[in-house]
Amino acid sequence: MAQRGLATVVAGLVVAGIGGLSLAAVAGAGLASASASDEQVTLTVGLIQDLDTPNVTAGFLVSSYEVWNLQYAALTDKAAADFATVPGLAESWEVGDGGLSYTYTLREDLKWSDGEPLTADDVAFTINTSRDQEWINHFSSTANLDATVIDDRTVKITSAVPDPKLPLMDVYILPEHIWGPVAEGDITTYDALDGVGSGPFTLEEWKSGQSWTMVANPNYYKGVPAIDQVVFRVFTNGDAMVAALQKGEIDAAHSVPSSSFESLGDTEGIEAVFGQQGGFTELAMNGMAGGLGDGHPALQDIEVRHAIHRAIDKQALFDRVILGLGTPGVTLSVSPDPVWQPEIPVDEQYTYDPAAANAALDAAGYLDTDGNGIREMPDGSQDLTFRYAERSESDIAAPIRELITGFLEEVGIATTVDVFDDTQLTEVIASGEYDLFVWGWTPFTDPDSMLSYFTCAQLTTDIEAIGYNDANWCSPEYDELYAQQNSELDRATRVDLVHQMLRLFYDESTYVVLFEDADLQAYRTDRFTGWTRQPAEIGPVIFSNSSPTYFLLQPIEGGAGGDDGGMGAGVLIALIGGGVVILGVGASLLLRSKKNQDERD
Amino acid sequence: MRLRFVIGKVLGALSTLVFVVVVNFFLFRVVNDDPVESMFRGRNLSAEQKDRLRQQFNLDGSKLQQFWAYIRELLQGNLGISLQSRRPVTTEIGEALWPTIALVGTATTLSMVIGVAIGIRAGWRRRSAFDVGSTTFSMFTYSVPDFWLAMLALGLFSVQLGIFPTGGLQDAGTTATGLPLLLDQLHHMALPCLVLAIAYVGEYAIVMRSSMLDTVREDYLQLARAKGLRDVEVRRRHAVPNAVLPVVSLSALNFGFVLSGSIAVESIFSWPGLGQATLEAIRGPDFPMLQGLFLLFSAAVILANLAVDLLYGYLDPRVGGR
Amino acid sequence: MTAVSRADFLRRFRRDRLAMFGLAVLILFALMAILAPVLVDDDALSAVASLDNPTWASPSGDFLLGTDHLGRSVAAQFVYGSRVSLFVGLMATIFTIAIGSIVGVVAGFAGKWVDAALMRLTDWFLVIPFLPLAIVLAAVLGRGIWNIIFVISITSWPSTARLVRAQVLTVKERLYVDRARALGASQLHVVRRHVLPNVAPLILASATLAVPISILTETTLAFLGLGDPTQASWGKTLEEAFQAGAISRGAWWYYLPAGLGIVAVVLAFTLFGRALEEILDPRLRER
Repeated sequence: MAQRGLATVVAGLVVAGIGGLSLAAVAGAGLASASASDEQVTLTVGLIQDLDTPNVTAGFLVSSYEVWNLQYAALTDKAAADFATVPGLAESWEVGDGGLSYTYTLREDLKWSDGEPLTADDVAFTINTSRDQEWINHFSSTANLDATVIDDRTVKITSAVPDPKLPLMDVYILPEHIWGPVAEGDITTYDALDGVGSGPFTLEEWKSGQSWTMVANPNYYKGVPAIDQVVFRVFTNGDAMVAALQKGEIDAAHSVPSSSFESLGDTEGIEAVFGQQGGFTELAMNGMAGGLGDGHPALQDIEVRHAIHRAIDKQALFDRVILGLGTPGVTLSVSPDPVWQPEIPVDEQYTYDPAAANAALDAAGYLDTDGNGIREMPDGSQDLTFRYAERSESDIAAPIRELITGFLEEVGIATTVDVFDDTQLTEVIASGEYDLFVWGWTPFTDPDSMLSYFTCAQLTTDIEAIGYNDANWCSPEYDELYAQQNSELDRATRVDLVHQMLRLFYDESTYVVLFEDADLQAYRTDRFTGWTRQPAEIGPVIFSNSSPTYFLLQPIEGGAGGDDGGMGAGVLIALIGGGVVILGVGASLLLRSKKNQDERD
Repeated sequence: MRLRFVIGKVLGALSTLVFVVVVNFFLFRVVNDDPVESMFRGRNLSAEQKDRLRQQFNLDGSKLQQFWAYIRELLQGNLGISLQSRRPVTTEIGEALWPTIALVGTATTLSMVIGVAIGIRAGWRRRSAFDVGSTTFSMFTYSVPDFWLAMLALGLFSVQLGIFPTGGLQDAGTTATGLPLLLDQLHHMALPCLVLAIAYVGEYAIVMRSSMLDTVREDYLQLARAKGLRDVEVRRRHAVPNAVLPVVSLSALNFGFVLSGSIAVESIFSWPGLGQATLEAIRGPDFPMLQGLFLLFSAAVILANLAVDLLYGYLDPRVGGR
Repeated sequence: MTAVSRADFLRRFRRDRLAMFGLAVLILFALMAILAPVLVDDDALSAVASLDNPTWASPSGDFLLGTDHLGRSVAAQFVYGSRVSLFVGLMATIFTIAIGSIVGVVAGFAGKWVDAALMRLTDWFLVIPFLPLAIVLAAVLGRGIWNIIFVISITSWPSTARLVRAQVLTVKERLYVDRARALGASQLHVVRRHVLPNVAPLILASATLAVPISILTETTLAFLGLGDPTQASWGKTLEEAFQAGAISRGAWWYYLPAGLGIVAVVLAFTLFGRALEEILDPRLRER
């Protein structure tokens, strides 16, 4: 019997070991993440997209912009209601040199969140260095600028060409004492977790794939925010995010799935926000203008691009994918302000007409001669089979792909599908190793940035330096118009120039704008007041152009302090915990009694 | 148990470990020749910069030189630096390890205890109503994909009824400490734990039942019954202790695999454990992190195997040569 | 185990009601998979062809299992989805068994250092964590059915190899093999005439039990978004249902059928395989 006795001892040990380990692990995890502070006012925001990097010289995702909007103030701010230029770090400014230069006066006693003084040196450092090193998020604003320090509170900014955007100076000012020592080559790989800024909140912690936390900046020039910290929680699934909002685990949600948007609007205590700021989703074709990669030759034929444009039923995408929440797309949207959008007569648009698309492809010589249902190049060398790159970090990417590949099939074009996350897709696009992809943009207030992306200068011709031009198309005519509008101070003339550019871009059709989508957001009304739409009435409340909401939020007295599961949950925990303990104790007793008996044997 | 037997087993485990380290290194290097290149594509980097980074990540020199560098670091307990977070892989894994052990350890314990209990009763009275019912149940849970079960549980308990949180280790941004925090975490863990426990329970019940059936036919049991011992006594004192051994080895082996076994469930419940870490690392792809995770997963299996081998050697003279 | 005659086998098998049930379910699903193009027009899988259908429609006369978020028929996806699941399950098992059997037979028959080396290799492969490797390889090789089959085969062969080797050793011990060898038969001949017929039933049983694991793996990979995005499969249906918010909508018709389909097929294979194993392996009889 000795052996059997041993077996039970071992069995007992295994049970006790695993059980004990588990309890220890729970306790360990508990201790590891215990944080000291209590009774903090926390705003929790749910979203789908993680940060790419908090480094403003390297990141480009919308989620990262939200971090910078909160962490870094600019010389001028944008009014919540209408984007009007209002004082920011600078309290006033004067124009000089016939509009070419502006002299900004900083507020008194400005400090960085770490207590260091914020001076004109920081401003000049940011503007001049970003221009010299071509930081991706600063350069389109600072390319022609030069900043000179007059004294601690005064900085003079001179533009080499007339700049219609001035005196708006919305570039993020970085702390020189943090960024200055970073060597030029290291700047884009710097982790930027220093958490030093001049905005209302600064980054405290980032757990990749899970959440990031921003804490109130005690030195913010408008005063200390009423909220102590903002936690951004990354969800892998929109549905779970909506459930979390309904239960009060989060206070607000960005990128609510369109399928649950309507029902959220009907929920008491939750306000659903249909936020419009000109964002759009496009189907892009590889125009191969950058010369890198191996885009399909057929896509460099404008006839094929027009045929694809006509093969796609934008209305169907609008109805099926975003459930009519937005507007069907026509051409590039370059600003939330519709004045920049040209009016294109319907009979000059590439409207849905698969018969016409088929006829055009036939006429251009793309015929299906081998009868496999797929057209070939006019010389018969290869099928019109396009590589379609799909985003994994979007819940509408799959339905869009289902429809677009279906529409293309109707005109004899086949597709193969690869799925990439946003970082990978950026590389794939830059290297030109794709034929089609679907992604989107959200423009800034001034159309200049969005327009600049499709200039020849933004093409990626060297994989070491990725440009913004993911249409992979450019033309001297467009560039010429771009330069003109960029220095045109008469607004009506500038609007006209922009209209010409957009018509040109529309006719080239490397971009097929599918729809303008709204930012679908929702927030709970029971914990905070002060949710502010930007622009007023039609814009989103968070992830807006300059994100004014966070500073304006006030906690509601007696508002539920987040969800702790309530009574029912407590009872449940006790039951489950109790159950585990009883099982464990029972098992070990059972085994021990047997062991004793065996030994007596 | 002979010393030679023990040494043989330990050496075998070591050789397996070495194999894993080699595969682990070359698999990922074959897959991606120059991680630095793909990591920093598009960021303005000078040639010296890249060289420095390659040095930092031990990516300079020939493959063989890189391999020796990897081994050298490994022996010092250094698994490299995560390409994504720029933190040591050991730190990253250390953080993800506890949530997984807590979740899967508890689930395994639960399913083992319940599964064994079911198996004992079912095996003792073959073809009884309990046997037929429980075996059907076991086979069913054995066949259910764990992620589907997780979907159903999430939909029913979190979304419709709202009794459990939708995911995560704890409330986001919670400032609780001590017991309230622990309770909060248990509350978050309950649902994924339940799903995993149900997904595992069938296997234990089936194995325990089979083992009981074998034992029941043994002569000494018939003898014990003939001696007039009460049925329950025979079962508890003679049958169960003998029959439980295969389950012990099964659970030891399973414990090697559990670290990596809950990937889909962790993903559905956003549980920040090793499974989530693996999925995150694949998206990068973050090779040092993947290598580290692989090494950990494999080492767990190897150790569990070794434990079972030694255990059997000790208990079964024919194997151990005692 | 060679003592099982065909008649004996069939008699035993027919008596096992669970096994018969499993077999019936398998035949049903196999028929459904084979006849899919006859049963359902594959246009029903196309989002474009479904543009006129209502979205999220609950089951009705028009749509037996309702429609999904793009108006596609869930029933059509269920029928076509069975093809991928069964195909991957079967192909992966065939490869698994092929690799495992070859390694097992060679190791068992060659003996000596070949055996030692091959068994060490088997040991090594046995400890490689299955799902993470499958995920990494699927991510690296790309998202296609054959890649999934490759991944499953390369990670699952060792247990078959061990099983087959053990059987080969038993068979080898038997006198008649020695006699055959003494008579000057070539090794290949011995393998073909004496070893394979003896281990074949066991390989069959182990194959039947490997299929459900392959199917579950395929489904998990598809659910994690590593399947072929253009091909209807049960795992993909579940992934899409999850992503589209079927759960919070209470659209049970979208996520229940595919899950139940997986359970049914896996359960059927398990029941069938266990019955085979019990009949073919005398030690397991009378359970």
